[in-house]
Amino acid sequence: MKRAAIVPPTLVFLGLVACSSSPPSPQGQEGANPNLPAAQQYLVPPMKVTTPVGFADGQTPTVPAGFTIAAFADHLRGPRNVYPLTNGDVLAVEAGGPPPEPMTRPKDVLFALAKGQAHSPVKAGNRVVLLRDTNGDGKADVQVVLIDKLHSPFGIVLVGDNLYVAETDRIMRYPFTVGQTSIAGPGVLVTLLPGGPIDHHWTKSLTASPDGSKLYVGIGSNSNIVERGIVAEQDRARIWEVDPMTGATRPYATGLRNPNGLTFEPTSGKLWAVINERDEIGQNLVPDYMTSVKDGGFYGWPWSWYGDHVDVRVKPERPDMVAKAIAPDFALGPHVAALGLAFNTSATFGPRYAGGAFVGEHGSWNRTVLTGYQVVFVPFSGGKPSGRIEPFVTGFLDAHDNTMGRPVGVAFDRTGALLIADDVGNAVWRVTPAVARASASPAVR
Amino acid sequence: MPSEPITPRVTIAGIPVHAMLVPFPIACFTGAMITDVVYSRTAEIQWANFSAWLLAFGMLMGSLAALLGMIDFFRRGPKPTIGWVHMIGNLAILAIALVNNLVHARDGWTSVVPIGLTLSVITVLIMVVTGFLGHRLAYRHVSRDDIVRHGDGL
Repeated sequence: MKRAAIVPPTLVFLGLVACSSSPPSPQGQEGANPNLPAAQQYLVPPMKVTTPVGFADGQTPTVPAGFTIAAFADHLRGPRNVYPLTNGDVLAVEAGGPPPEPMTRPKDVLFALAKGQAHSPVKAGNRVVLLRDTNGDGKADVQVVLIDKLHSPFGIVLVGDNLYVAETDRIMRYPFTVGQTSIAGPGVLVTLLPGGPIDHHWTKSLTASPDGSKLYVGIGSNSNIVERGIVAEQDRARIWEVDPMTGATRPYATGLRNPNGLTFEPTSGKLWAVINERDEIGQNLVPDYMTSVKDGGFYGWPWSWYGDHVDVRVKPERPDMVAKAIAPDFALGPHVAALGLAFNTSATFGPRYAGGAFVGEHGSWNRTVLTGYQVVFVPFSGGKPSGRIEPFVTGFLDAHDNTMGRPVGVAFDRTGALLIADDVGNAVWRVTPAVARASASPAVR
Repeated sequence: MPSEPITPRVTIAGIPVHAMLVPFPIACFTGAMITDVVYSRTAEIQWANFSAWLLAFGMLMGSLAALLGMIDFFRRGPKPTIGWVHMIGNLAILAIALVNNLVHARDGWTSVVPIGLTLSVITVLIMVVTGFLGHRLAYRHVSRDDIVRHGDGL
């Protein structure tokens, strides 16, 4: 790595020519054995930033035949996550990002302007809102702010009578019994999490082990590919296991660039997550993926992607780490920005969808043809993906590729209906089988 | 009397603004080459950040200098060959700087090595020639002739 690489001008010219882009449509960058093209570099990275326009009144995303979709709640302020409770109440986590990152390069100034444009003009709430459907018509008629003034919250999980909320810089615990519509007191700090001042990937996904004895929190990297320096990546790009009583933490799995949607797969009992992979080495690279997460596993970031594909942008090289890198289980496609994951445990959607995974894809900004902006379905069998990925909820884009909505967190409620947090539509959508709709949402109490 | 002088059109208190601006791109692009070299030896990302800012600021100031230099050059007076070479060489530098800024906007190692560093070195090599010609223009065609013409003596 110490070679002073000064190449002749002819090679420079060839290097620039080689920056021309490949066809932008995904070419099989999905599934258990994705087609992975060669990495390339750009002078001007491909980009297409969408403009948020929102849904018109009465307009909804699109679902397959045999299903219906309706807003369970709307006029929210940037809902990014949904958490259904056993009594039918739904907690929506509203969040905007933390304060802007320090500008260390001219590029940061331009990128901040471009990406900021894609977010909803509605100021995000940074709070947990309780949604309750008292008359069982499938639409929440009560919206109460349960916890306010949070620091960019995202992850949320209830264990017994303890409600854990992962803000971008800490996990807090609140006493909460299902049925309550308010929380007394400020909550208790469980543990601090790596937060600012950079805090690039700020969403802290949270789940609990099936027995409730441990929490798992996703901590995204502080950069695309260590361009903030390796020191900024201290305790980043990993999943922590947290003891909810003592606040003790340990790295559970590392090398995961931006892990979200932490969820235990019910049949295998394994922890799964969806991971946002790195940018600027191709329109079709690197596919975001979903994977089972092994205790102690290392998944490559930053030194390599998809197993042992070395990223030449990272110096010093670490062949020892590349050799350890685990290839993930299932590719979701390039730049789809998968942020939500839920397993369908009920029979409500019928046998075709039983047991499968549903993934919320926030959508791309870093390729010329948009990908994501949908909720996809991945069939599972025996705790593993068992078929092709397919779109399930679509129609978040209008005819001009403006965003009417952007799906983020997904979850199944107690009736087996799919809930989707939409931080541009500022709604929580609810998908039910068409036939069962009338009785699908029993009233609370 | 020697050839008619190039009379600067854009001046502040008689001093050409072009001459005031040219040190900025010279210093910035030379600095960027140095910080590129240091990054290529250390992989310490802050050196690459320095390069990115130096290249951006160098291109901004260099573009202003080019604009004013061309106003001076085209609006009146003779067009000596070294003036053309100076201008074309420096426009080439600005074109390279644009590409080099884009290369430096990449993330990590390949924002500098190998193409960024190579472009930074080529920039400095061209600047050695165009800077020398620029001084020839200033001393022979502006300063000295100006002084002779105004009879201030030497």
